[in-house]
Amino acid sequence: MRSRRPRAAAGGLRRLGVAALAAAAVTLLAAAGGDTWRWPLPAWVPPPVVPADNPMSTHGVALGRHLFHDPRLSRDGTMSCATCHEQARAFTDGRAVSPGVTGEAGPRSSMSLANVAYLPVLTWQNPQLRSLEVQALIPLFGEHPVEMGMAGRETQLFEVLKADPVYRRLFARAFPDAARQGEAALFSLSTLTKALAAFQRSLLSFDSPYDRYRYGGRKDAIGAAARRGEELFFGERLECYHCHGGFNFTDNLKHARAPFPEVGFHNTGLYDEDGRGAYPKDSPGIVEHTGDPADAGRIRTPSLRNVAVTAPYMHDGSIPTLHEVLRSHYAIAGRAARHGRAANPLRSEFIVGFEITDAEIDDVVAFLESLTDERFLTDPAHGDPWPRRESAAGAGACGRDQAGGGVCRTKSTGMPFGSTTAK
Amino acid sequence: MNIPYPPRPLAAFAVALLLSACGAMPGGPSAGSAPAAGASSGAVPVTVRFVAEVSGRPFACGQRYDGVGRTGSTITPSDYRLYVSEVHLIDAAGRAVPVSLAQDRVWQLEDIALLDFEDGTGPCRNGTPATNTTVRGTAPAGSYVGLRFTLGVPFARNHGDPTTAPSPLNLTAMFWNWQGGYKFVKFDTASAGRPATTAAPDPRGGGSASGFSVHLGSTVCASASRTEAPSSCRNPNRVTVQLDRFDPSRQVVVADIGAVLAGANVDVNAPGTSPGCMSFPNDPDCPPVMAALGLAYGGVPAPGPQRLFSAR
Repeated sequence: MRSRRPRAAAGGLRRLGVAALAAAAVTLLAAAGGDTWRWPLPAWVPPPVVPADNPMSTHGVALGRHLFHDPRLSRDGTMSCATCHEQARAFTDGRAVSPGVTGEAGPRSSMSLANVAYLPVLTWQNPQLRSLEVQALIPLFGEHPVEMGMAGRETQLFEVLKADPVYRRLFARAFPDAARQGEAALFSLSTLTKALAAFQRSLLSFDSPYDRYRYGGRKDAIGAAARRGEELFFGERLECYHCHGGFNFTDNLKHARAPFPEVGFHNTGLYDEDGRGAYPKDSPGIVEHTGDPADAGRIRTPSLRNVAVTAPYMHDGSIPTLHEVLRSHYAIAGRAARHGRAANPLRSEFIVGFEITDAEIDDVVAFLESLTDERFLTDPAHGDPWPRRESAAGAGACGRDQAGGGVCRTKSTGMPFGSTTAK
Repeated sequence: MNIPYPPRPLAAFAVALLLSACGAMPGGPSAGSAPAAGASSGAVPVTVRFVAEVSGRPFACGQRYDGVGRTGSTITPSDYRLYVSEVHLIDAAGRAVPVSLAQDRVWQLEDIALLDFEDGTGPCRNGTPATNTTVRGTAPAGSYVGLRFTLGVPFARNHGDPTTAPSPLNLTAMFWNWQGGYKFVKFDTASAGRPATTAAPDPRGGGSASGFSVHLGSTVCASASRTEAPSSCRNPNRVTVQLDRFDPSRQVVVADIGAVLAGANVDVNAPGTSPGCMSFPNDPDCPPVMAALGLAYGGVPAPGPQRLFSAR
């Protein structure tokens, strides 16, 4: 095992103080008065809904943050959750699809975790996955595709966690009731997944220039191009807002003031494999789970917050730029309609195509860029809490990666292991 | 899905004790060979022994088996586990009498048992050293001629919270979280045409399911509204296994995966589909596998009874 100094928690408090951010200050005050969580949210944002059996706590979030950034959660120590969910990219990874520890790539693109607490359904094409706690099991233990490759290795994982004094303290603080029941309850799939979920629910992004313009009364917060783009985005010619509406720019939304969740899966006509609307086999849409042929190609609407830093685009990363998303996909009623072919017959009624100039596309992209929350992308509270470490397993991982050096690149992007807070 | 216990005694039949063979299999755990606590008068211990095979040869992790599947491939298995539930003895009148399973906190929970034929060695590195090849419980004393059980986990348990489920429903290797539920069967193997992994071998063990796998589980479980929890699955994919002639004191249940693979080409995988057959709809690798399991698939009814299990 790599040695670590058991000073992360104290270091974390010091770093929070240095950050001097309003959100962090609220959290810190809450921690000082016990462990009552307070959402660091502007007044106009309703708080998320949290499962009754996993209430938010500063200690739970702190534990989850350590787990999220810990490559020991993968079979060969080469991947943490953050490998595919980099903070600087709004917790995506810049790749179309991502290789797991075996080098095998999954069929769909790493999803942003910004404001994931507001999502009633969590993944591109699974209407069943509504619990962040359960979802965490898939990258950790899934076998198709293999991501972190831990299937069958939970016992070894818990041994590693128990042996680390940092985790001993973090687990005990986050789960005092489980701690009283003994080690088997304290170091368990239940606590592991609850902590990871709590950290993800703390990833809140509501401080973009557009937020300051739209909700903060700062009329100069975005430029003229972005304002023109806003008009286009919310207009009836482009129809973007029908699916990308609401404060999280998706028609998938649940929160404490909503009487019921909204869920939206749509076929945008990106593919049409058989002339009857089908998508490729490896990502057929929610028909995989519903069995309804009309659900072919239906994919969950992503939030557009921070979308400028989450390229490449679409559920399979098949479009490199936002400009191309508009020009070669939405403007022609779905990319399947290229080369004079008919548009996908199952596509959403809002995918009708439109005439648009390149200058107008530039305006829409400027608007989308105004949704980038720089504070979120750099907030030390979300970064790697571990002391800076050299990669013990990194060299092997670089050599094995067959998808363009992605794993290796991730580790060398900016700071190895994302040590934004360890300086 | 609790079995009523104790079941009504079958007074019409002469008592014929079903002697437990106690399942003293090599590598088996010590837990749970005793009958259920509280076994009352008239209840006798029952042990149903299972034997895992590949085309008639004993299953072992890392063993090479030739002549498998439609291409006569050579395969090297890396996992073989399955859940059985709803175990019943059949009497001469055809009545099914439930076996009340010992609640051993390891392999058996309620009416569910995990059979684990892998021992964690070689390419089964993601497995567990402990194995389990018997189902143990009690049944009313009686005269029985046959055996019935279900391959799979009952619906209520299949769609519970896996992060807090008791053993044996807490093994991550058996989780099937993408679909919701558990793998009823987990058989993984490398084949001549499909080596186990696409990358260099992990020095700490392989076992990733990228060769040819048979993962059986329920599919198409989404509720109509898409916001409600599933109440059923269109393809439950549970298999009812009935062995009309079976004496647990003298016979074993053979679980021969070679019979399931017999019609499949284990050297190839249809592009864009999961490796082997993981029960997903529209996988061209699945029809021969699902047919051998006695299951309808892709709108085609089951061509006949299951061929995985037989009495010997």
